[in-house]
Amino acid sequence: MDTIIQQLFNAAQLGAVYALIALGYSMVYGIIRLINFAHGDIFMLGGFIGLLLTTRFGWMPFYLLLPLAMLLTALVGVAIERVAYRRLRNAQRMSVVITTLGVGIFLENLVRLTVGPETRQIPARLPSAPVVWLQQHLGAFVTWDKLLIILISLALMAILWLVVNRTLIGTAMRAVADNKDAVPLMGVNLNLVIAVTFAIGSALAAAGGIFYGQAYSIDPYMGIDLGWKAFIAAVIGGIGSIEGAVLGSFLLAGVEVITVAYLSSNLKNGIAFGLLILLLLVWPWGIMGKPTLKKV
Amino acid sequence: MKLCTLALLPLLVLAGCKPAAKELKIGVSAPTTGSISATGQSAKNAIALVQDEINAGGGVQVGDKQVKVRFILEDDEDKPESTATVFQKLINQDKVLAIIGSYTSKCSNAGAPIAEASGIPVVSPWSTNPNVTKGRKFIFRACFIDPFQGRVVAQFATSKLKAKTGAVLYDVASDYNKGIAEVFRDEFTKMGGKIVGFETYNTKDTDFSAQLTKIKGANPEVLFLPNYFNEVPLQIQQARKLGLTAVMLGGDGWDNPELVKLGGKVMDGNYFSNHYSPDIDNPIAKGFIAKYKARFGLVPDAAAALTYDSANLILKAVATAGKADSKAIRDALAATVGFQGVTGNITYGGGGDPVKGAVVIKVEDGKFVFDSAVNP
Repeated sequence: MDTIIQQLFNAAQLGAVYALIALGYSMVYGIIRLINFAHGDIFMLGGFIGLLLTTRFGWMPFYLLLPLAMLLTALVGVAIERVAYRRLRNAQRMSVVITTLGVGIFLENLVRLTVGPETRQIPARLPSAPVVWLQQHLGAFVTWDKLLIILISLALMAILWLVVNRTLIGTAMRAVADNKDAVPLMGVNLNLVIAVTFAIGSALAAAGGIFYGQAYSIDPYMGIDLGWKAFIAAVIGGIGSIEGAVLGSFLLAGVEVITVAYLSSNLKNGIAFGLLILLLLVWPWGIMGKPTLKKV
Repeated sequence: MKLCTLALLPLLVLAGCKPAAKELKIGVSAPTTGSISATGQSAKNAIALVQDEINAGGGVQVGDKQVKVRFILEDDEDKPESTATVFQKLINQDKVLAIIGSYTSKCSNAGAPIAEASGIPVVSPWSTNPNVTKGRKFIFRACFIDPFQGRVVAQFATSKLKAKTGAVLYDVASDYNKGIAEVFRDEFTKMGGKIVGFETYNTKDTDFSAQLTKIKGANPEVLFLPNYFNEVPLQIQQARKLGLTAVMLGGDGWDNPELVKLGGKVMDGNYFSNHYSPDIDNPIAKGFIAKYKARFGLVPDAAAALTYDSANLILKAVATAGKADSKAIRDALAATVGFQGVTGNITYGGGGDPVKGAVVIKVEDGKFVFDSAVNP
């Protein structure tokens, strides 16, 4: 039996989680040219907040749990920006990057100390029965939770696109991305725009963390590896670009899954990253990235 | 003034030379944090039990006097590089006589060369990879080795489950997983089975769906997962969600209460090979299990039982050697014959690997149930 369709669903689920993380990297970079290395750990924290809510409030349905966890994680993201990054906004670039690494290590150890180092799973809140239609018509064994994770992720990305392109705050975000120094002179509250960006990025990462904890598992250090993967996906797509982050994520997940399916699981990372280096040689700014020219 | 100091000097030298052997120090290198911290916890519990037992009786008999024993436990985080640091610290700073550890084979392989070079005897409770003791004089273990374990599982699959086709998914970055996976593949093929899938992943991967979907396409009757208890439940869960129906098999890396805590119902009906079963009729094991349960409220896993045996092996060797000397302890260890432990009898026939049997355990209703015993 051919399993290609099933593999495509595997890739879509993984790509959706990568994309939810990659968006946060890309948006923050787009606005203040900061690579927030603590973002992978925000994703981890979102997963653990989801775990806490599901275990403490067993009655809470998923459609309430997901937004609540996203909101809480967004608050953490905003708090981190306020406490750790804002004062360094005009400092040397390297100081902020080191601070983001420090915040990441702090979050990892905070969760390890309070929750413990063991691998955990978020108790299933989505139905795990196979989708009968797909099984009968395409011969693919896909469970409902996998399909829902993919669909909800895509919906969140669509909402994000609308917010950025169709609302006032979105316009402000795009304006700040275009010229951080001139926009405040027009009466735009720069701090607010940056805070909103961190909030949105953290909320999306939290959704990714919860989906990851449902589909796979969570542990305090998962943000490191997955954060890197998502960061790479954002760079491939063109860092700073929302469409690029999504495209890069699905591309990375697709290459990974196809390598395992048709070549060898031993070569997964080797081939995936080798291909991506080639891609960057062709498009140094990423697929959707805008070349920034330095004026001399 | 000067004369006075000079006159005192011989006294001081004498005082310095006198062995101040108030206690005997034995090091323990165990992963009390990190991904398999549950195993480190088992080790810690077993060591606490041994230390209290021996010291309650006044300590270990060394020559003509009794000496109290102190176990110094250090966390190696289940990382080879940390294990090397821990071994160095135990040997150079704490001046331990012998070391118990480490637990996973990749860590033992990092620590063993350091102990070997310093002439400190090591008993690894849980490292089953053959390379750990190979070509080394000071390294011993309390458990069987992977070629035996791989054969036990392959035999179980072909003769008891009557499986004709099998597949393997293993962590290619870990010595233990890789070693046992290859033995299983070879033995299963030799016994007339066919390996239809041989897939790998890397430590810390959490998404196995691409590999499992590929294995599903080959439709094996059994799937061998020689990985650790913190990953196996996720692998089985993902496999079931992808529609894989094979019986899952594993090795001693499955043995930890976390396995069913994390996996729940999906673990039922699967089998793994192990060092001992709490159901086995052995008076020493019964006593140990009762004490362990009373103090920690848990049924001891194999890592706890093997740690208990390793510590007692060393204490017995110290008593046999009659002196607190690492070389003498090593010689006494190598000459161990018919040591009766929780996990069976241990005899070293020259090398550091004991000749021991294995058991196959079935997971039923979230419990580990004895299925069958296999002797070498």
